[in-house]
Amino acid sequence: MADALLQVRDLRKHFPIRRGLWSRVAGHVRAVDGVSFDLMAGETLGLVGESGCGKTTTGRCLLRLIEPTSGTVRFDGRDVTALRPRELRSLRREMQIVFQDPYSSLNPRLTIGSMLAEPLAIHGLARGANARERVAELLTLVGMSPDHARRYPHEFSGGQRQRLGIARALAVKPRLLVLDEPVSALDVSIQAQIVNLLRDLQRELSLTYLFVAHDLSVVEHVSTRVAVMYLGRIVELAPRETLYRDPRHPYTRSLLSAVPVPDPDRRAQRIVLTGDVPSPAKPPSGCRFHPRCPLAAERGELARCSSDDPTLREVAPGHWVACHFA
Amino acid sequence: MTEPLLELRELKTHFFTDDGVVRAVDGVSFALYAGETLAVVGESGSGKSVTSLSVLRLVASPPGRIVGGSIRFRGRDLLALAEAEMRAIRGKEISMIFQEPMTSLNPVYTCGEQIMEVIELHEGLGRAAARVRAIEMLRHVGISSPEQRVDEYPHQMSGGMRQRVMIAMALACKPSVLIADEPTTALDVTIQAQILELLQKLRRELGMAVLLITHDLGVVAETADRVAVMYAGQVVEYCGVREAFRSTRHPYTAGLLASLPRLGDEHQRLRVIPGNVPNPVRFPAGCRFHPRCPIAVERCRSEVPALRDVGGGHLARCFRAEEIASGAVDPVAGEGAPRG
Ligand SMILES: Nc1ncnc2c1ncn2[C@@H]1O[C@H](COP(=O)(O)OP(=O)(O)OP(=O)(O)O)[C@@H](O)[C@H]1O
Ligand SMILES: Nc1ncnc2c1ncn2[C@@H]1O[C@H](COP(=O)(O)OP(=O)(O)O)[C@@H](O)[C@H]1O
Ligand code: SF4
Ligand code: SF4
Ligand SMILES: [Mg+2]
Ligand SMILES: [Mg+2]
Repeated sequence: MADALLQVRDLRKHFPIRRGLWSRVAGHVRAVDGVSFDLMAGETLGLVGESGCGKTTTGRCLLRLIEPTSGTVRFDGRDVTALRPRELRSLRREMQIVFQDPYSSLNPRLTIGSMLAEPLAIHGLARGANARERVAELLTLVGMSPDHARRYPHEFSGGQRQRLGIARALAVKPRLLVLDEPVSALDVSIQAQIVNLLRDLQRELSLTYLFVAHDLSVVEHVSTRVAVMYLGRIVELAPRETLYRDPRHPYTRSLLSAVPVPDPDRRAQRIVLTGDVPSPAKPPSGCRFHPRCPLAAERGELARCSSDDPTLREVAPGHWVACHFA
Repeated sequence: MTEPLLELRELKTHFFTDDGVVRAVDGVSFALYAGETLAVVGESGSGKSVTSLSVLRLVASPPGRIVGGSIRFRGRDLLALAEAEMRAIRGKEISMIFQEPMTSLNPVYTCGEQIMEVIELHEGLGRAAARVRAIEMLRHVGISSPEQRVDEYPHQMSGGMRQRVMIAMALACKPSVLIADEPTTALDVTIQAQILELLQKLRRELGMAVLLITHDLGVVAETADRVAVMYAGQVVEYCGVREAFRSTRHPYTAGLLASLPRLGDEHQRLRVIPGNVPNPVRFPAGCRFHPRCPIAVERCRSEVPALRDVGGGHLARCFRAEEIASGAVDPVAGEGAPRG
């Protein structure tokens, strides 16, 4: 197997809950609560799960855009969590992020050219004519025209802005991109354009992707392996085909069965979950999924599931599941 | 066929803004029959929400105005009614639920009070009776311990529960038409599955017709009987759900279907519809889809295609629908697709 470009071990991020500005901490939102995975060079790891399960927080901790509470992140052997500010800057040359919302993530006051030249100057990569040349190259790379460098973000559509966000991330020639819902805010007909672009770029530039999304069909399309998160934890991780054809965790199963299929002759057999996702400030005892788990109820194992927290274990080569009965 | 419950003909709703006239809805026609689910599908900005707001005459004016066409409900022209008559229809005979339940529920009233208000207004029930009915509705939409929940405020509930409250409110007076504007777009898939199942169950029980607005073709395939596809303020295809997916007659619908990544497909490039959604202040001349259409011909640039029957009640707004039907042209492949 290839080397892991990124190694994440027992990553946690707990946000303090304060009632007022000066009051004491009343508890913690356990947004990420013990996440471990490897990211292999050149692969796309899809990270899926429902709103609030901790996907974005995980992605941001990896780049130290927010400080993890504990755990380690190793990039190419270096411990990211131990880097000092100066060293962090060189890390940012290697790892970049693309955000979900192409409307708010671009500075409205900068021309596209200045926006793309900025990281080149910060990292001392190119100035003046060289920078202009590199900007033109970046625009071409993402399927836009070098003439666009003189324009402002508001002159572009959502899909074009997402291309610009990708160009900005690629400016410093990173090796790894965290893509946080890169197509969720886009129209169906534009999503496909961006998905294809990301795929072409990955091949051309040998990029490694962490692809965060909640759309399971998009994730299946782009991923090499897929990790499913629930309430701050990874509950299942497997190669793409395995995860979609042979899901073992009851949460993954119900998630997959809930996706509406665009085919009127195949109206899905649903496993409809009852109840809502519990608050990450007070996760359920034992297995966090037990209050909604159809399997625990069916097997009459609620007593065990509500007291005994299942660890993520390898049930088949490369197939990891956190369930007592996988 | 029987008379439709609700029928839109050539509806036009425009917004008069500083940037020019936004032709948000610009010739929308479809019919909704009793007991059926009609899905209105299209990308953002295609005019879906403005269409549904127009039916209830809730378009903000100014800047908006219904400038043409007709909306008939049970044989009556809604555009000719006095505001008081319209108020008696809203929430009673035609109800609506919105995409974002938080913005459409009032944060300063309890959920119960908001449901009771609708019941008191339309059914003339007293407070006590309205409260009993509100609790009954909450139970009906699957909210547990409704006797307690009835006194809670919207912010105390999750997104899925708020959407249930919205549905309870909309259905409190047993309307014959429910307009659901992207009712599950803001929700997670497991909650979406719960809400769609609930809507289908209530539709059967109450025998109402549902106008379901969505951009998700998966949701369409699973819930609709009939489909109206919107592009640039107009309906471009209108047919049964199986026809929409199996014998598509419009290149835009065909392109949308082809560009979907599907569960179970391989690592191939996705097909794309090139270009961008047009600006509603400056729609292209001729067929509005022509700059993005893989099979556009000279005529498409200047002449406007009408929405017409292209066989067996299947309506399409395309000059080449017959050629698509016979297989003479491929509405997706057309020319080679550009990069990205
Ligand atoms: N700065 C913060 N302070 C307090 N809580 C936070 C903060 N940022 C995130 N959270 C909480 O942490 C949890 C995880 O949030 P996160 O944004 O990582 O979820 P996500 O999986 O990306 O969700 P989505 O699909 O909605 O983007 C949520 O409960 C969220 O409310
Ligand atoms: N109050 C308004 N003023 C000006 N333009 C509007 C207003 N409301 C909607 N529009 C425009 O009308 C078009 C159709 O909008 P809408 O019906 O909301 O689209 P959809 O619901 O299909 O996403 C869009 O271009 C939108 O910007
Ligand atoms: S451990 Fe128990 S509650 Fe958790 S997923 Fe497995 S069966 Fe369900
Ligand atoms: S009328 Fe012409 S441009 Fe419009 S959809 Fe048909 S072929 Fe394409
Ligand atoms: Mg997120
Ligand atoms: Mg809308």
